[in-house]
Order: sequence, then structure tokens, then C-alpha cells
Amino acid sequence: MGARGFFRALAASKAGMIGAGLVALFVLLCAAAPLLPVPEPTQSNLRARLMPPTLSWDAIGAHPLGTDNIGRDMLSRILYGGQLTLAIGAAAVVLGGFVGVLLGILAGFRGGITDRILMRLVDIQLAFPLMLLALIVAAALGPSVRNLIIVLALTSWTRYARIVRGQTLALREREFVQSARAIAASPWRIMTRHILPNVMTPALVVATLELARVIILEAALSFLGLGVQPPWPSWGRMLAEGRTYMASAWWIAAFPGLAIMLTVLSVNLLGDWLRDYFDPKLR
Amino acid sequence: MSSRIARRAAVALAAALWLLPAGLAGAQAQGQAQPRALTIAFAANVNTLDPHNTATIGTDMSVISHLYTPLLERGPDLKLRPMLATAWRMVDPTTWRFTLREGVTFANGEKLDAAAVKWNIERVRNPQVNARIRPWFRLVKDVNVVSATELEITTSEPFPALADQLSMFYLLPPQWAAQNNPATAVMPSGPYELKELRPGDRIVLGARAGYWGAQPAFGTVTFRIVPEVASRIAALMAGEVDLITNVPPSEFRRINATGRAQAGSVDSTRTFFIRYNNLKPPFQNNRNLRLALNYAVDKQAIVETIFGGQGRVANCGIMTPAYFGFDPAIQPIPYDPARARQLLREAGITGPITIDFDIPTGVYLLSQEVTQAVVAQLEEVGVRVRMNEMEFGAFMNRYLRTRELSPMGYLSLAWPTLDGEGLLSFYETGNIYAYWEDETYTNLLRQSRRTAEPEARQRLLQQAARRLCDEAPSLFLFTQPATFGTSNRVQWQARGDDWVRAWDFAPR
Repeated sequence: MGARGFFRALAASKAGMIGAGLVALFVLLCAAAPLLPVPEPTQSNLRARLMPPTLSWDAIGAHPLGTDNIGRDMLSRILYGGQLTLAIGAAAVVLGGFVGVLLGILAGFRGGITDRILMRLVDIQLAFPLMLLALIVAAALGPSVRNLIIVLALTSWTRYARIVRGQTLALREREFVQSARAIAASPWRIMTRHILPNVMTPALVVATLELARVIILEAALSFLGLGVQPPWPSWGRMLAEGRTYMASAWWIAAFPGLAIMLTVLSVNLLGDWLRDYFDPKLR
Repeated sequence: MSSRIARRAAVALAAALWLLPAGLAGAQAQGQAQPRALTIAFAANVNTLDPHNTATIGTDMSVISHLYTPLLERGPDLKLRPMLATAWRMVDPTTWRFTLREGVTFANGEKLDAAAVKWNIERVRNPQVNARIRPWFRLVKDVNVVSATELEITTSEPFPALADQLSMFYLLPPQWAAQNNPATAVMPSGPYELKELRPGDRIVLGARAGYWGAQPAFGTVTFRIVPEVASRIAALMAGEVDLITNVPPSEFRRINATGRAQAGSVDSTRTFFIRYNNLKPPFQNNRNLRLALNYAVDKQAIVETIFGGQGRVANCGIMTPAYFGFDPAIQPIPYDPARARQLLREAGITGPITIDFDIPTGVYLLSQEVTQAVVAQLEEVGVRVRMNEMEFGAFMNRYLRTRELSPMGYLSLAWPTLDGEGLLSFYETGNIYAYWEDETYTNLLRQSRRTAEPEARQRLLQQAARRLCDEAPSLFLFTQPATFGTSNRVQWQARGDDWVRAWDFAPR
């Protein structure tokens, strides 16, 4: 599975290409927002509020996607909002993945009481409606970017833990693990050196699919006012603010909605392809 | 056979009605025996029907006003008019005398006379009842029943605003109230009776036969709770409701364009501002900073754009011309960012500064737009603001109970009696709303309370307002327009003081 083989397989899949291409484009655009000739996302000009998006050559330089309800540039807010959304999503996935993989390996490798406690914990959490859990924790911790990441990671660690545990159970009996044990390698060494590299692939697939889910959840929390705090933009928040103007200024809600949809779609396409690619049965 | 024809005719009729212009069909329906109906959409729930346990004019008190009788009532022209009381006057600085209408009864036959009024005032003043409106009567010393139609109220000090205050005071039947809970049950003396109470959804009232006054024009009045502004607008445009309030001015054109409803606004008596916490740094003893932020915000632009030119910039204070004690000579603080920067330097602020700002969500018209615009403007002069949005209950809890208001908080105030003394008392030292201690101001206010002579009183209130402006314990923003939309079926005498009453409407 060299890098060249990977990219060749990606190029052969239409869905995979679209997904990867869009994700790359969004990440690049959002990351490059400070370099682009757009105004600050919090800079407002009340007298230029509710300007519609335009295709006319003269006006397109100013506010191509129009302005929002207090005269801020929509394009700039979409880009900076995307920066925040993607960064929060990535951070939550990494944090959730780290905790989930760690506990999954521990549960699978140690077995016994450790396994039982951890897996019951997972069961309890999965029995809870995710949104409710996120709402409760977000409301208890108070809204801030750091807390948002914690909340999102908390809702996602269980998925990694389950899959990684199953994988570890299988790996534990394999010869290379047995031989490492025979030469008295410490459990820590076996877990990090022998098992971890072999569970990373499925974890990566979960992570991609989780990213899409976490982005939606972040938008939902921000929509409800428990996520990113104003005046800094976030797609969910913009959606909420544009809701009142849906009939008179559709673009305020439509563009962040479109951004959420396209991002989640492309991440999902990429995730699906990754899963198929790493699934030996489908190759 | 004949039944089939009848069915066919019914279908044809239904189709014809469907094709008729909506207005015509509506007129036909109204022309039939059905009594005229009025439907009003509220943004917030009605929490109680006990007139002594609420001060919320826009919802609770408005419903209650249909069911019970007050001594006097404030009309849409904002003037007092007789209800149970036919005449009232201050016979000396601490005595009020009311002449009552004869023969007014509740639906169960209980008399609404001077003795019943006395019982009501005593119910509120009884600490054990713990009535929400108890503070209104803190100056009342005694109530004397002179005769069944003569009532005398004595006060511990001059209380010139008593008549205004009593326009919000609705009377319960004493005997009935002893056995029933007025919060959810009703024994009316007003023009309507309770037909249906579905908390959180709707309240339906029907006209009452035995009412002492004129029969109302609408046989049924329905109050529907519709929290979402977009849903309220949709309901109005679909012809489901006859009145909605708190309409964003940006939606006016869309509502008017339907031809089935009209949107508009009147000046309200409610002023919006950002309350500083003057008991803590950075605002404590820092008049330059308080003023600097006042200069940094373009109030005119907010009124012109977000409120579409409706409403008006606050006159460096919280009073509007409708209040007794308003001083037309006090001018708004102009928008001057250069002056703001200079004042910031004089306030000793050279580096970047971050100030916390608490914002209640979901209660005030366009509060997100206003607060974010203000924050963006403060940022222009180098003041960073951290916004904490919170639910209104949590905000009030922080503000009044735990007393942890952030340095800034978004608020509005109005005083239904339209007496400046009541409104200004929100800044008096010792008032839990104040977050400010100023001896000069408080003394002026207390002096006004001991003064019965109207002109002298007005001068004192104007001086207090002037002091408020000079010291700037808040960032004064604007007087909100009272925006509304009405269906073409009715004509409403729009008013800016939150009351919604069926008799302010006329069918068209």
C-alpha cells in the first residue's frame, strides 16, 4: 500500500476524487482567508446591510456573496467561519480519537474487569441521545471554543473505542504479539509498538466519518447559541441569525447552509472511499 | 338523489368560495351569524392570571385586563380614563379620594364596591401573600371606606403617581378568591370571560353578558403563543392572526406587499441601553471611560438601518417625551470616535482592553443585530468586547439575584405609569437594578418624591435626568419603536406602552 498506489486508487474513484478535491479546496480557502482580499469578518457597515449577492463585475469585488444583517461581508464570514468550524472539528476528532483509541486498546488488550468497565461506560453513553448529552455538557461548561471541542470529543470517543477494541482482541492472539510477549516485552511496548500501528487504519476511517458528524453537531450547538460566541462567525450561528431573514434576505442563511452541506458531503465521500479502500474484502 | 345534488352543490360552493378573493370570502364569513373573532399572537407565554402576581404588561396584564376591572385605565392616547372610579383627585398631599361607579358586580354576583377595593389593596400589602406588585403600594398607609362608592387612600408621603399606578391594578372578588386560585381560575367583572386556557399554546376569551359597560365588538378573543418571529409573520400573512408585535422593520415591505396585512410602528416608552456595572472596575469611578463608550457608538446609524428609521436615539438618558419629567433640552451624546479615543486615553487606557458583555437572548427585538453592531463599533476605537449570550432567566438571575452582572449588560426599561420618578428610581442608590451609587442623583430623586407641586417636581426630575446624563452610568442607545402588523380585518389604535386590548381594535 504505497503512496503511489493510494493516489492511483483515489484517482480511479470519482466519488473519492470529488470528496478529496472539495475537502482540499475548502481547507486551502479557509486557511488562506487572511491572505485573500476580503474584509475582516467582524467589520460591520450598518449602512450597507442586507446587500444581496451579486454577479455584476463592478460590485463583485466588494461583497460577492452580499452582506449580512449588520453589514458584514458574507464571503469573509463564510471563510473565517469555515476556518473555525474545520479547526474545531479537527481538534475534536483528534482529541476524541486519541482518547478512544487509547481506551479501546486498553480494553481489548487487558480484557477482564478493565474491559468490562470501559465497555459498559461506552454502552451507557451510547444509550444517551448524543444531542442531549452535548447540550447538557455545553450548558454546564458554558460556551467557549475550548469547551466546544471537549463536548464534541466527548460525544465521539466511543465509536473509536468500540472498533479499536474489536481489532485489538483479534490482534492480541496473532503470532507477532505472542512472540513479543514471549521475549518479555512490556505491555506498554506491545500496545504502542505492535498493536497501535495496526489499529490506526480503521481508526482513520472512523475519524473521517466522525469529522463530518462533528461538523454538523458543532453547527447545531452554535445554532442554539451554545457554540462559538459572537461576533466571531461560525456556520451554525450564521444559519441561526439568517433564519429570521429567510423571506427577505435568503443569502444570509443560504450560504452557510450550503457551506455546511458541501463540506459534510465531501468529507463523507472521502470517508466512504477510505473505508472501501482499506477494506480487504472490497479490493 | 337529492342528497347527491346537495353534495354537488356544496362542492361547487366550496370551489366558488375558494376562487373568491380572500377578502371577499372573509367578509362573507363575517356577515353570518358567527360573532366577530379577534386573534392576537404573543411572543411569550402567559404565566399567571392573578392580577396581583404579575407586572408583565405585554402578556399577563393584557389578558387580565379583559377579565377584571381596574379603578382607571390608560387609553391608547396614554391618558387615564374612568373605569370603576368615575372621579379621582388628590385632596391633600397625602390623601387621594376616589368616587366609584354604582352597581358593578362580578359574574357570581359579588359586589365590586369600596370595600372590595380595600380588600384588594390589603391583599397585595399583606406580606404573607407575597404579591409580585407589593412594592407599588409601599407608600400607602391606609384605605378608608367612606361609603360604598367613596374611597380614601392615605399615603405616608406625597404619592402623585398613585392614580397612574392604579391603572395597572385589577380587582379580584374577595369571597371567591378565598376559595379559588386566581392564577388559573377566573371570576370576571370585565367584558370577557375565560373559555379555554391551554398554557403555552392559547387562551380563549368570550364576551360576557352581564358586563356593566358597553358590549365589546368582538365576541371571541384568542391569544396565541407563537415564540418564533418568523412564525408570527407567517401566521399574520396567512390570515390566522390579527395582530403580531415585535416585527423586524426589515420585514415591513414583505408584509405590506401581501395586501392582507399592514405593518407599522409607533414610538414606544421603552429605552434600550447598556448598563455598566459601576460598582466594579473598569467603570467604577471612571467617568471618562463611561463617556468614551457613549461617544464610540453610532446610535443614529443603528436607528436608521436596523430599525429602518423607526424609533429614536436616546436623549442621553432613559426617558422619552411621554414621561413626566422629560427634559427636551438634554441632547443625545453624538457619535464621535475621535473624542471617544481621546476620552479613553484620559481614562488612562492606553493598551488593549477587553470588557465582558452579558446579553439576554430571545426577549428584545433585534437584540443580536444591535449588540453585534455596538460591539463592532467599540472595537473600532480599540475596546474589545467578549459577548456572553444567555437565556433571559439566567441573565436576570445574574443581574438581580447573584449580583454578578458583567461590566456591561444589555437592558431596556419602561415604566407603565409614565412618571419619570418611577423610571429614574432604577438608578437610585440602593435599588437592586442600579449598579451605581451617586449621592447627588439619589438626593434629587428623593426630594422629588417629597414634593407634591407638579412644576417643582418636574424641575427636580429634570435635574436628576441631567445628572444621569453627565455621569453616564450607562451607554444610552435608543428608544425602540413598538412595531406591529395587523390584518386587514381590523383597525388597531397602536400604542407604545405594551398593552394589547380588544377594545383598542375596530372591525373593518
